[in-house]
Formats: sequence, structure tokens, C-alpha cells
Amino acid sequence: MAYEFTKEDLQEIETIKAKYPEVMPATLPALWVAQRRFGHVEPEVQRLVAETLGLPEAHVHGVANFYTQYYKEKKGKHVLDVCTCLSCQLCGGYDILHHLEEKLGIKAGETTEDGTFTLNQVECLGACGYAPMLQVTNDKYVNHLTKEKADELVEKLKNGDELEYEQIKMPQHKNI
Amino acid sequence: MSTVDWKNYTPVLLPDIKDLHKIDVYTKNGGYKALKSVLTDKKKWEGPKAVIEEVKKANIRGRGGAGFNAGLKWSFMPPADGGPRYLACNGDESEPGTFKDRKIFEYNPHVFIEGALIAAYAMEITTIYVYIRGEYKTYIDMMEKAISDAYDKGYIGKNILGSTFSVDFYVHSGAGAYICGEETSMLESLEGKRGYPRVKPPFPAQKGLWGRPTTINNIETLSHVTGVINNGADWFSSIGAPTHPGPVLYGISGHVNNPGVYELPSGVPILDLIEVAGGMRNGKILKAIIPGGSSTPVLRADQLDGITMDSDSLRTVGSMLGTAGMVVMDEDTDMVDVLWRIAHFYHHESCGQCTPCREGTGWLEKILLKIKNGDGEVRDLDLLLDLTTQMEGRTICALADAAAWPVRFTINRFRDEFEARCKKKSHAVA
Amino acid sequence: MPEIFIDGHRYEFEGEHKVLQFIQDLGKEVPFFCYHPSMTAPANCRQCMVKAGQYMKSRETGEYEVDENGDRVIRWFPKLQTSCNLMAADGMVILTQETDEQVKRAQKDNLELILINHPLDCPICDQAGECPLQIQTYKYGPEGSRFEVKKVHKPKRIQLGPRVVLDAERCINCTRCTRFTQEISKTHQLTITSRGDKNYPTTAPGREFDDPYSLNTVDICPVGALTSADFRFKARVWEMNQTPSIDITNGKGTNIDLWTRDNLILRVTPRFNADVNDHWMPDAGREAYKIFNENRISRPQQKLDGEKVLSSWNNAIATLSEQIEDTDNTKILVIASPHASVEENYALNKYTNLLGLNTPVFTPHIEEGTGDGFLLSDDVAPNTNGCRLLGFKELNKSGICKEIQKAELVLILNDNLVDRSVITADQLKNKFVAVFATNNSETSEVADLVIPITTAAEHAASYVNVDGRIQRTYRAKETKYTNRRIDLEMSEGRLDRYGTNFDNWVTEDNKIDCMPMWEIVNNLADATGIDINFRGGREIMDEIASSVSNFSGVSFAAMDEHAGIQLSIKKETSTSK
Ligand SMILES: Cc1cc2nc3c(=O)[nH]c(=O)nc-3n(C[C@H](O)[C@H](O)[C@H](O)COP(=O)(O)O)c2cc1C
Ligand code: SF4
Ligand code: SF4
Ligand code: FES
Ligand code: FES
Repeated sequence: MAYEFTKEDLQEIETIKAKYPEVMPATLPALWVAQRRFGHVEPEVQRLVAETLGLPEAHVHGVANFYTQYYKEKKGKHVLDVCTCLSCQLCGGYDILHHLEEKLGIKAGETTEDGTFTLNQVECLGACGYAPMLQVTNDKYVNHLTKEKADELVEKLKNGDELEYEQIKMPQHKNI
Repeated sequence: MSTVDWKNYTPVLLPDIKDLHKIDVYTKNGGYKALKSVLTDKKKWEGPKAVIEEVKKANIRGRGGAGFNAGLKWSFMPPADGGPRYLACNGDESEPGTFKDRKIFEYNPHVFIEGALIAAYAMEITTIYVYIRGEYKTYIDMMEKAISDAYDKGYIGKNILGSTFSVDFYVHSGAGAYICGEETSMLESLEGKRGYPRVKPPFPAQKGLWGRPTTINNIETLSHVTGVINNGADWFSSIGAPTHPGPVLYGISGHVNNPGVYELPSGVPILDLIEVAGGMRNGKILKAIIPGGSSTPVLRADQLDGITMDSDSLRTVGSMLGTAGMVVMDEDTDMVDVLWRIAHFYHHESCGQCTPCREGTGWLEKILLKIKNGDGEVRDLDLLLDLTTQMEGRTICALADAAAWPVRFTINRFRDEFEARCKKKSHAVA
Repeated sequence: MPEIFIDGHRYEFEGEHKVLQFIQDLGKEVPFFCYHPSMTAPANCRQCMVKAGQYMKSRETGEYEVDENGDRVIRWFPKLQTSCNLMAADGMVILTQETDEQVKRAQKDNLELILINHPLDCPICDQAGECPLQIQTYKYGPEGSRFEVKKVHKPKRIQLGPRVVLDAERCINCTRCTRFTQEISKTHQLTITSRGDKNYPTTAPGREFDDPYSLNTVDICPVGALTSADFRFKARVWEMNQTPSIDITNGKGTNIDLWTRDNLILRVTPRFNADVNDHWMPDAGREAYKIFNENRISRPQQKLDGEKVLSSWNNAIATLSEQIEDTDNTKILVIASPHASVEENYALNKYTNLLGLNTPVFTPHIEEGTGDGFLLSDDVAPNTNGCRLLGFKELNKSGICKEIQKAELVLILNDNLVDRSVITADQLKNKFVAVFATNNSETSEVADLVIPITTAAEHAASYVNVDGRIQRTYRAKETKYTNRRIDLEMSEGRLDRYGTNFDNWVTEDNKIDCMPMWEIVNNLADATGIDINFRGGREIMDEIASSVSNFSGVSFAAMDEHAGIQLSIKKETSTSK
């Protein structure tokens, strides 16, 4: 399949380019545009980004492979990035990971056969106080996980429910 | 030692005001007054240099981890030559245990935007980038909105508030790489490259983004600038620990009842801070803390008496304030597991440029895994300690140091626990 | 003048110097991997550590400060420094591994770390013997290994492109190869992929590393991670000997080394010349080794009844001198060659001149589109300017054809005029054609007499490149009539030095039965009763320098000393691109 940007994508890329004095800085944001459009940045997509920006393909490839959030291969519809780093480890991040492995019948790093879920173990996501937690497909954080909450999440995603942004209040305050 | 009066402190960076993230609410509560003052009150501010002097005097020590005086850093910028100059705001926030800057993005983005604009004015910056880790998608969106609102209100853009000062302000999203929090790696990432930290010299103030003068500051550091301009350097430096003054966003995580981000003066006693965060979970006994992100040396509970959260006090027990992201561990914590997990993190995040870090972080992790799995020997502990000396101070950036310190200090401070995990038999090293 | 103190010795310097380069230029050593003098210094291998400090000078007096013992006060840098990106400064103090234990330890520590994930397969690695990692480990590395856990595994035997093979496990991530494609060849075909200890260089997926300069990465790779697909497993480096030479496949005159074993050229590598090719050469020129080994003309050949037969040298010389004597001078056409050296052209010219023949003609060998603005010019002959400076008549294609029409006897010095379509075989019909040539070709095919001459690998002679620089070759390969044991200018490899003709890895088969052009001229002159007695390229060049003003001041010694000599050429006639 040949990948192509839509007119809007191209417009967005032009807006991005205008933020910088050179084209190369648009590499990361353009890869983001591509990943949002196609769901991944497989080699073909990397090539499209390189062509669109007029940059060497090897450069785009090197960049895509340096950053973990770019999917260099197709992933499941929902990617569950479970943090197991320091604070999450202390608060049971591995229990959540193993629970999800069992529930989904896959190991971390794998995708369910039906292509619905990919499960990953990831490094600190900057939500250490709300551990254990996970991020869904580079977007919403799901905090204070328990096995029950993880189960609910899986069901929600299966049902195609939108995830809410979980706002976390400042513990000292009443209003925020 | 004088004790810091933290109990009566009222947050200023993240005050308890509903909807403060909205620009109207922010301005209603005195927002953008500081910016207006430096741009228009020529009596008070003779020019950019005066702003730098005030900030220098306030002694805002960088909240990104290294604790360098922000105003002093600004003064390293060479004189303006008409060409572009950049401010890169570091919102990469990826050091395990650290989750404070996101609170600013979420609850008070304009205090940061205003601080960054003042910094830009002071250093005659032409473009500001705020680099936010890609995982913070929600906060990236919030920041885009806040910046766009500030553009609309004329706080960003051409001839701000009728002055001759113009500046642009953009968000740049990361994409999953802890190393991009290191300032020169961040510049590479902004330039659209693999995040390989640069060799210094040249320093960013000389050759930063696209070879032009650039200053890098943490989000919290810049946010404090607004308060310093509004209330004066003396106000700021009178808060908290005298040598490391000002409010601090403490991120507290781990085995406490109410983990989260707390704004308090610097220099809060560590044991008090644990109480602030609701005390130990499940009534367990405190075993250890990591004071400011995973790279800062771990402290045993018995080392904490009278120790406060500021660099001088922490130095006396062999640790550092870092990002003030404190990780609390209770009696059930397995230090071998913890250290292995930290080592795994640095191994995973090494950019791979320099030999000692690329090879060393992996070796550390593999030996620790061996010990964790019960296959280690006591001599492995000494090998680990030796390896830390082979990595420390020998690399381009400080990630190798950050990887080495936890290994050295955790083993040294919990040696018994590590030895107990090693196989009983242990042949002498040949 | 600013001064710097290295291991206790004082040196003066001017201008900007990286400490590592400065130390090397002194003939001393600090081990290193990633630094390359022609590229940016990323300081990523961390091998070149030194201890650095600064003698303190008093602000008021400008004098060095001294302590109570009268010793100068040194302010040391808090950490060891990588010397590759440290700039020399006035009053700087440097301690290397020679004098400082801390430095020695740091270098050893670093080598230990480089080696933990290295396969240590030197016995089967092409780089062994010329491997900086191997050499430096031997000199500065740890004795044993403390690494008892699993090594990282990476792709092996990856054909990166038509000419380059990657073994990622051997890679030490110095980024020399990627920097080469970014900074030197500018094709940007390589990048490092992944992160941390999974890093390795690669092309974009599905793309070939077909950079026309790709093989330079093999040269600069400090380990055996990048190897040449062509040379792979052909020879161990210590079996070969290395002889300086000039690339004869292009007018740029790239300086090269020829690597021989048992009189076969096995590979060609670039040789540094700041004024010509720096450290680099195009891949195309590396194929030239085949010219020296394959399809060579060995022994003179003569056409008898339309059939090529081998001839004796005596017979060949006699035949040619008879032909010359029997042909009207005005009907003899002498075609000199931009593909032959200055000395060969000169020798032929002197002979024909003394005979009273017309001045030789020549035609440049231009292939439009070959030039790339870097190390390739459209002029694909190595000595076009040499012919010009000798005063030969430069003709284009139709000019040559016209001259041939008029001639009955045509002498062609090593130029495949038929192959390169300057003339057709038909145009040479009914004429007596004698060629002095190195390799069989369509041109030699139509000749009535073929006299084998030496290649650039077999003689010491000079070539004037497109920019007017005269540079020379050395004898790298023996002919039937030369012997490296008695020829002091020929280099000897281990096999040459320690082998005898009775060892089974030495054969006579690779020595070609050919002679330098000037010896053939000597013989021809002798047969014609003319007094010419050339001794060799060196003496011929002396003679040229004293008789042809364009070459005044040129000598082998001068060329050797200055890596070639710039001659003044008319720029408009230069075909440099
Ligand atoms: C490996 C590494 C990671 C870092 N990550 C961050 C980060 O996520 N956020 C940050 O503000 N500073 C980080 N820093 C510190 C920055 O390099 C830099 O010192 C800081 O952004 C300067 O801002 P400040 O002076 O305002 O603290 C990191 C440093 C290192 C060595
Ligand atoms: S110390 Fe590590 S992270 Fe930093 S530049 Fe070197 S390899 Fe990269
Ligand atoms: S392949 Fe060779 S040149 Fe390229 S990075 Fe690896 S070691 Fe360096
Ligand atoms: S450790 Fe899991 S979010 Fe920081
Ligand atoms: S040569 Fe200096 S760091 Fe590699």
C-alpha cells in the first residue's frame, strides 16, 4: 500500500516547518503527523516523511528508531504502555503488567491475535505519584491502577468507549 | 540550623485558584503584570541587564536537577548581534520520580509562559521553544492552547504590550527518550535529530540551536521568574533554605499515603515531607528514600534525622536535591530489585554515543540481574563498584554518572542486603 | 609564541590545534578511534583521554605563578579530557598515558568496555593486522576479561550496498562511517539506528549503500565492522606489501596504495594527499587492480598471415625498426598517450624526434558526466596535461582520423583508441599498426605488432593530473625482468622477504613478460643506430627537467618530498571539473 498525506496533513506540516529556521527540525513533528494518520511509521511511512520534507531517508530512519514512541511496526489498535519503572515498581507496576499479560494472553512486547491490544512495559511516564499507571496508545494516562481498574479499562477499550482525562488534584488544595 | 517555616506556607506557583490555567483568570489574579513591568516600567527596569541582575540576586537554583543559578546562567549569553537567539524550555521531565512540571502545564501554564517571556526579554531572545516529552500529549495540547491564548492577547508576538520587544513561542514535542532532557540532547532533538548530547565546549550560550546563542532552563525554574519580578529578589531568597531558596515543587511517590506534588519552601525536613504526604502507607516503617529523582544517591532511614531538602543539607549525608522528586521506600522494599530496575532504566535510555555509558549501563544491569536472580557472587559487587568508577566522569553527558551513582551508593549503603542475595560460595578474584 | 607542555616536554605552537592531532604530529601517540582529521570530532569513543591542566599566570605580571617550592602552579581540569576535541592553549599542561597512571587506567578501562560486546573474532576478521582496536588493545588494553554475562547480538553479514558488508557486532559506534556520508560524500546514506548498546549503522530500509565513495568507510572503520565485498577474505594484511601509487583511471590523480601479494595487486586504498584527495578515493578507482592483474599482454605478439602469434623481443624490435626504416617519414604517425606516463611519452618522442618524424599527436580521453566535482573529473586519463606540457599536438577525434588516413605506419602508445571509439578498426586497415600496450584490447587486436609495456604498478613514472600536479608511481609488482630483492625501491612484504621461489605460495606466473617503454626505446634506438640510453624513470625525469622548461625543477626526489609538484598549466586547457 502506498502511503500518502492528505491535504490537511501537508498543510499541518507546512505550519510546523514555519516554526523553525530549517527543515530538519520538522522531522519529529512530521513523524508524529504521519503516525497519527497511519497508526505507525513503518519504513514506507518513514520514506514518505523523508520525501515530503526533502530530507535523507536514512536521517528519518535514524530518528524514528531513536525515539520509542514512534511505532516502527504496526501495533494493536490499543497500545497499553505499563510503567514498571522505579515508583511504579514499588507500587505494584509489575503486578499490573503480569495481570494484563494473563488477561490478554500475551507477553509484554506482543500484540493479541485479533490485533486489538499491544502490551508493553515502559520506562517512567512522569506520573510516579499516581503509580501504578499506564498510558493508552501515546495518549491518555490511567492512574492508580488496580487489577480491577485494569480489567475495566480493557473492557472499555474493547467496547470502543472514549477514555476520560483523569485529572489529579493538588493534594494541598481544595479548588484544584 | 534554623528551621524553615513551611507549615504556614501558601503556594504561589500553584496557588489554590480554580481555572487559573485560563488566561482571563490568570490576568485577573495579577497575571502578566510582571511582564508588563519589565517591558514598560523603564524607571524600575533600566533594561534587560537589570532583569538579569534581579534574577541573579534571587538565586533561583535550576530546578532541572543541577541547581545552577538561573540569572548567572543568563549572564553567560554573549551580547546580542542582531541574529536569532533562543530560549529552550526543558519540559522533558523523564527522570524517574519526577512529575512536577506537568502540574505547571496543567494548572498554571501562564506563570511559566510569563516567566519565559521575561527571560526572553532579559536575554534578548528571538524565539522560545518549550520542549515537552511526547508522552505528555495532554499537557502539550494544554500548552498549545495557553500559548495561542497569550498570542491572541498580545503577550507573545510582535511588539509585545506596545514595546519594541518581539518574540515567538512554540511547543516542540519529544517522542520517547529520557536523554532528551539533557540540555544539549534536547537541542539536537529540537533540530530534528537523534538525541545525542553534544560535547562541550562550545556551550549552548555560545553555540546552541542552529549554532546560535541559546539558554536552557527547566519549566519550574522559569516559572519562578514571574514571582521574582513581581515580588523582588529578596522576597524569593527569603523563602526556604538560604543557599537554595524559593518555593519547590516536591513530587513525592512510593510508599506514602498521599503521594503527589506539593509546593513548599525549599529545605523542608525529609521526615516532615513524608508526613506531609500522609505518612508511611499501611503503617510500615521507612527504609530508605531517594531524594530527587532516580540518579540521586539513596539514603537509609537512619541517615535522615535533621536532613532537609536542599543541596547543602543533603550533601552532608552524601546525596543531592536533584529534581526534588522524592521516592519513599518502606521496610518491605527489596533494594536489589530496586537497584536493578534503576539500572535497567539507564541502560534503556543511554543514547549509546559514548563507550563507557553504552557498554557500562548494560553491563551494570546484567550483573544486577544475575544477583537478583540469585546467581551473583560477592565479587560481582566489587566488580559493580569498580565499573562505576570506569563510567563516572568519562562521558559526554551526565547520564553515565546518573547511572553509576545509584549503583555505588545503593550497594555501599545496603551492602548486607546485596551480599545476602549473592551465592554463598565465592571464589577469590583471579 | 604560545607554548604547551606534554609529558614534561615543552613545545611551541602557532594557530589552532587539537591536542590529539598535535601529539600525533609530534610523532607521539595517544590511542583513539572516533577522531578523524578530516571530519568533525564527536568525541564519542572516549579513548583518547589525557590529563589536562593549565599553568596559572598572574594577571598583573603575565608571569607564571609559582608555589612556595618554586614550582609552577597548575590548575587541572576536574575530569580527564578527550584530547581529540581539546584545543591547545598557551600554558597548557598535558599528561598522556606515558606519564600518568590515571590516564593509563582510564584508557585501559575504556578498552575493557569497548571489548565486552565485541565478538573477538580476529582470526576470521579481515581487519586483523591493521585494526586499531586490535593494536590498541594489545598496547593499552586489559589483560583478561571480567565480562561473564551475555553479549549483545546484532545483525551480521549485512550487504549494506554492492561493495560494503556490515558486521554490526564488531561495530564500536564511532560514527566515522555515518559522518563520512554526511560530511564528505554528502550522500547521507548511512545513519545509526536504534539506541544505546543496540546502536549500529545502517541505510534506510530497502535502500542500498551505493555511494560512489562507499569503500572509504571500509578504510576508516577502526574495526572489521565494514568490509569490502570484493576484498573480503582474499588475503591477510600481513601477507601483502603496500606500495604508493597514483590512480590511473581518472585525471584527478588520486594518491593510492597498491597492495600486492605474490605479484598480484589485491586491493587499492587511498593515500593521504592534502592537495589532491585528502584521505579519500572514489570506489571506481579501486577496481583498477584488475587492470594490473588481468588480461595483460605478456610477450610481444605479431600478426603472421592474419594470425596473432607470440614473438621474441628481438624479433619484435627488429620488425618495428625495419618498418620504420622502410616507411617514408611523413607517412609515419606517432600517437602519444594521456594514458601513459610523462616518461614513456617523452622516451617515445625523443626517439621519433631523433629519427626526424613528426611531433607525436594525442587526443584527450574525456567522458562527459564522469566528473562529480569531488575526486572524479570528466578527463579519465591520468596524464593529459603531461602530453600538453611535453608539447605534443592535441587533436580531437576527427583530427586523429585525418592524420591516420594519411599514414602508412601508425605507432600507438598505450591508448585504446578503437575501444574508446576515437577511431574504428577499419580505419587502420592496410596500414602497419604497432601498439605499445599493457592490456589486450580491441585496439591491440587490430595491431600488426603488439609490444607489451609495464603498467603504473610496474614502473616508477610520473603523471600530471587535471590540475597540473605532477606525481609519481613506484614499482609495486615484479615483471619477468625485475626482482624486488635487488631493487631497493621496491617494497617487500612478509612473504616477499621470507619466502623463496621454492615456496608453494610464490609463483612466477604473476610476473608479466613486459618492459618499460624506455627500455623498448633503447632497444629500438640501438637497432636503428641512434644514441639513446635511458636508465630509468628517475633519470628520464632529470633529463626532462633540464630540457623541457615546463618541467624545470621536477625530480623524483622533489616529488617524493612534496607529495607531487604543482606545474603551471593553462587553466583553459584544463579539463578539471
Ligand atoms: C541525563 C539527563 C537528563 C536530564 N533530564 C532533565 C529533564 O527531564 N528536565 C530538566 O529540566 N532537566 C533535565 N536535565 C538537566 C538539564 O541538562 C539542564 O541542566 C536543565 O534543563 C537546565 O535547567 P535549569 O538550570 O533551569 O535546571 C537532565 C540532565 C541529564 C544529564
Ligand atoms: S553519557 Fe550516555 S547518554 Fe550521555 S552522551 Fe554518552 S552515551 Fe549518550
Ligand atoms: S561501522 Fe565502523 S565506522 Fe561505522 S560506526 Fe561502526 S565502527 Fe565506526
Ligand atoms: S515510575 Fe511510573 S510514572 Fe514514574
Ligand atoms: S578519539 Fe577522542 S573521543 Fe574518540
